[in-house]
Amino acid sequence: MGRKGRRILVVLSAVTLVAVASASAAFGAHRADPGITSTSISIGGTFPLTGVASLYKTIPAAEKAYFDYTNDHGGVNGRKINFTILDDAYDPSKTVPLTQQLVEQNKVFAVFGSLGTAPNLAIWSYLNTAKVPQVLIATGDSYWGFSAKKYPWTIGWQPDYPGEGKVYGKYIAQKMPNAKVGVLYQNDAYGKNYYAGLRVGLGAKKSQIVSAQSYDVTQTSLAQQILKLKSDGADTFVVFATPSPTITALVTATKVGWAPTTFINNVSANRLFLLAAAANGANVDGVISTAYTVSSTYAPQANTAGVKLATSIIAQYAPALQSSLASGDGNIIYGLGAAWTFVQALKNAGKNPTRASLMKALKSLNVVDPFTYPGIKLQTSATDNFPIEQEILIKWGGGAKGDWTPFGELYSGVR
Amino acid sequence: MVELARRFVVRERRPRRTRTGVSAPVLAGLAAACIFLVIGCLSSSIFAQQTVAGLAQGVIFSSLALSLVLIYRATEVINFAQGEMAMATTYTAYQLTLWGISYWLAFFLTLGIAFVFGVVVQVAVIRPVQHSVIAVVIVTVGLFLLIDGLVTWRFGADLKFMQAPFGNAVYHVGDVTFARQDLGTLIVSIVSVLLLWALFRFTKLGLAMRAAALRPAAAALVGVRVNWMLAIGWGLAAVLGAVAGLMTEPTQFLQPTMMQAVLLYAFAAAVLGGLESPAGAVIGGLALGVFLNLVGQYVGFATSELRLPIAFAVLLGVLLLKPTGIFGHKKVQRV
Amino acid sequence: MKPRVPAGLPAAAIAATVLALLPFTLSGYHQGLASEVAIYFIAILGLNILTGYTGQISIGHGAFMAIGGYTTAVMSHYHHTNLILTLPLAFAFAFACGVLVGIPALRFSGVYLALATFAFAVSVPQLALKFSRFFGGSNGLQASRTVSHTWLYATSWSCAAILFAVAWLLLGGRTGRAFRAVRDSEVAAVSTGISLPIYKILSFGVSAAFAGVAGSLFVIHTNGFAQPNEFGVILSLQILIGAAVAGLGSLWGVLAGALFVGLLPNLSTSVPLIGSSHGQDVVFGLIVIAIMLLLPNGVAGLLARFARLRARA
Repeated sequence: MGRKGRRILVVLSAVTLVAVASASAAFGAHRADPGITSTSISIGGTFPLTGVASLYKTIPAAEKAYFDYTNDHGGVNGRKINFTILDDAYDPSKTVPLTQQLVEQNKVFAVFGSLGTAPNLAIWSYLNTAKVPQVLIATGDSYWGFSAKKYPWTIGWQPDYPGEGKVYGKYIAQKMPNAKVGVLYQNDAYGKNYYAGLRVGLGAKKSQIVSAQSYDVTQTSLAQQILKLKSDGADTFVVFATPSPTITALVTATKVGWAPTTFINNVSANRLFLLAAAANGANVDGVISTAYTVSSTYAPQANTAGVKLATSIIAQYAPALQSSLASGDGNIIYGLGAAWTFVQALKNAGKNPTRASLMKALKSLNVVDPFTYPGIKLQTSATDNFPIEQEILIKWGGGAKGDWTPFGELYSGVR
Repeated sequence: MVELARRFVVRERRPRRTRTGVSAPVLAGLAAACIFLVIGCLSSSIFAQQTVAGLAQGVIFSSLALSLVLIYRATEVINFAQGEMAMATTYTAYQLTLWGISYWLAFFLTLGIAFVFGVVVQVAVIRPVQHSVIAVVIVTVGLFLLIDGLVTWRFGADLKFMQAPFGNAVYHVGDVTFARQDLGTLIVSIVSVLLLWALFRFTKLGLAMRAAALRPAAAALVGVRVNWMLAIGWGLAAVLGAVAGLMTEPTQFLQPTMMQAVLLYAFAAAVLGGLESPAGAVIGGLALGVFLNLVGQYVGFATSELRLPIAFAVLLGVLLLKPTGIFGHKKVQRV
Repeated sequence: MKPRVPAGLPAAAIAATVLALLPFTLSGYHQGLASEVAIYFIAILGLNILTGYTGQISIGHGAFMAIGGYTTAVMSHYHHTNLILTLPLAFAFAFACGVLVGIPALRFSGVYLALATFAFAVSVPQLALKFSRFFGGSNGLQASRTVSHTWLYATSWSCAAILFAVAWLLLGGRTGRAFRAVRDSEVAAVSTGISLPIYKILSFGVSAAFAGVAGSLFVIHTNGFAQPNEFGVILSLQILIGAAVAGLGSLWGVLAGALFVGLLPNLSTSVPLIGSSHGQDVVFGLIVIAIMLLLPNGVAGLLARFARLRARA
């Protein structure tokens, strides 16, 4: 090649390089994640609207109400949030195709709030491989929190179940060192993880547990297990169950003439459930649980920003939920709280959010969610993938027309 | 392997029967079981408590098993939708109370509605296919889904609560507690059995129903309106189902899935007691309830995951050893 | 004997061609839907062999699917077995389980058999909970590999085609005639020398094996995740309904049954009534009752009627 030829070659190469570089830069700069346009963001989640877990369906309804409220107030940086709610009936074999539909057909920006441990486990690797955010999922298992390195696109919201179990364990070890603990737990990972947390919380005083009985969701009566706990000498009754069996356990314990100090988990501590238990003959005064959201029925909190906001949002955007909210359905506050966190993170993700910037915002939270119990702060970092880790103990008083009263200090559960 | 298989082919056996129609060995076995239970209750407080709790659990199985038995006896059909029909009629009672009707008035109105419901289902959906066992099974499965879907659609799947028919009172005898509700359910079941027995034994209607079930052709020849007898059988079974649902509500609460677990245990109870015997349904239910509780208390391996499989092992065991159950009559098997 | 050229062979050839070309036009998500149809196709085929051709009612095929599905999950999770290899493993293991179930099932018939298989269907998922350390319990068991939509489409429809051919050969020959004899009259069957136990047990085994393969593909379709909630009673009921819609006792309606059971749940959620899960239950229930009342021989019966009309014309 002659000198002229070489020069042309160099120039051509340079031009090509520049062209390619600028093209890819331009391409990269304008390439947006799916599900986001200049006026909208599309998200979706799978929830058990029917089937065994459908009493949680007020959660997505409340979340939708919050997004509608946000949209009416200009959205997030001018973008309105489109929230698709799909029903998987708590069956992972439905969760997977429905989530694939959200990602591949609806092309959502993120999967938000999907409910259930097994459903989320089923889509865990799929979403992380596809680099789709799986955020603020409605499950208290701790796998997501502890696996941030391997599954960086997933993050939960609520305090985790083992952490909550630890709170009860710590409390019993400190304040009830002579208690004989009997545990009733659901025989799946949900119950077993709670039970494991309780044992960690008790620490050296693990031997306070004198009996632990599991039950199956297909049982029609819990008397056999409760009688065994009673006959094994327990005077403290810890119930790690879903709402319906919890009510049954409270009623049965009273009916067999047992009067232990009772702890129930916060998933089942909805005011409506305690009222129902009392109506069915349970002695509910003194039952202890934990809370991490504001209460729509506890008078001293009636004037907090969270309660006032919740009441007005539900009145305007989900009026069908109003009476439940007024009776104390904590799932509604839960939904509002999770949705608030999402909107906050979206705001922090910048004027033109990407999936990566959303995850970054969610992993650098340091904010107070108005729907959480006063004093609780949402905090996450590169080493802390659990947004809420604090809970307050609550105790029931007032019998069949009573309510929960918080007491003591904020506990920290995880680690 | 063929030899093994051949050993399982149905063989006829003719045990000696007492006048009441129950064979001697069976009666002896039942008596032995009762003595065992009494001795156990007297010697161990927890044994007594588990037994009584087992009876309370079993009485729920019995009440639904009664309606299964009635349908089978009247129409030779097993209704997989029995639990859902019971659940639907319970929701009907709930709706009536929401409209301001008092509990007991709603209770009896619901029984009437359930009767009509049962008759309509039989006439509309079962009668056209009753010649084929497979078709009937499929149709009752379809009913199961249809009723479940309709109730969930209309009422939602969240927990609802009704007043307990017999209240929340409990009675204490030493360490053992008896709930008034469970005693009430037991009495209601016994009364139902007696009424059914009286119906079949002493009334013309009962006679006609028995004839229609056993020998439809001959019955038609003597003027029995066979189709209507079958329909009435379903109607009565639906009434029993409604009673079962209302008795079950205090422990299972009102949710669309309330009768599904109960149905599974009720199948086992009905087969155990004998699919053609209402008294067997009650005894089978009580026995199953006590058995599950005692096994749970004393057998370490039998943890809660195995409760349902154990109940079905009982069902399978009965089907293998004495297919007609405790109180059933052996039918001559003509190949 | 001259082998018959089956009347449906041209139709089958067209179907095969369409299936082979379809992935090029369908999006990945829709390929996933088509795979689900294939899975139900195989399961319904299996149930049809047992209930339609041999007259043995089973409401327990969800349990055989669970057995096949967990075989795949276990082999893949613990031994990193190639997913394709787990399919014949599931076939064999489910066959063995079917035979084991078939032996005591000889003692039952009619509704008692339905009850016994129902008991089986309810109990098997509980075992996965009981032995949760091995089977993953309620947290499920995750296979070590996941696959693309197209892979699953190709594999599931290939299996469907292969198993359809197997079923067709089996049912068209001596075994099929024996099955039908058992269904139509056990007395007559015995009197012509057909061994009831052998053919009933064989029918259970083959039927279970088919369901096992369907279960394997089902787990692979669920991103390789096996969990007890996936194999509830409803699954067994869906397969039975699919078989009823298809038309018991004939192979040609199976595709219609599979389409019905596979696609209905996935219809767009914005469609009123059908969209939500309980609306779908209502529609399922209504349609199956309607079919039993109006079209007792299902879609296959409808096709046979058309064929007769055309032959007459």
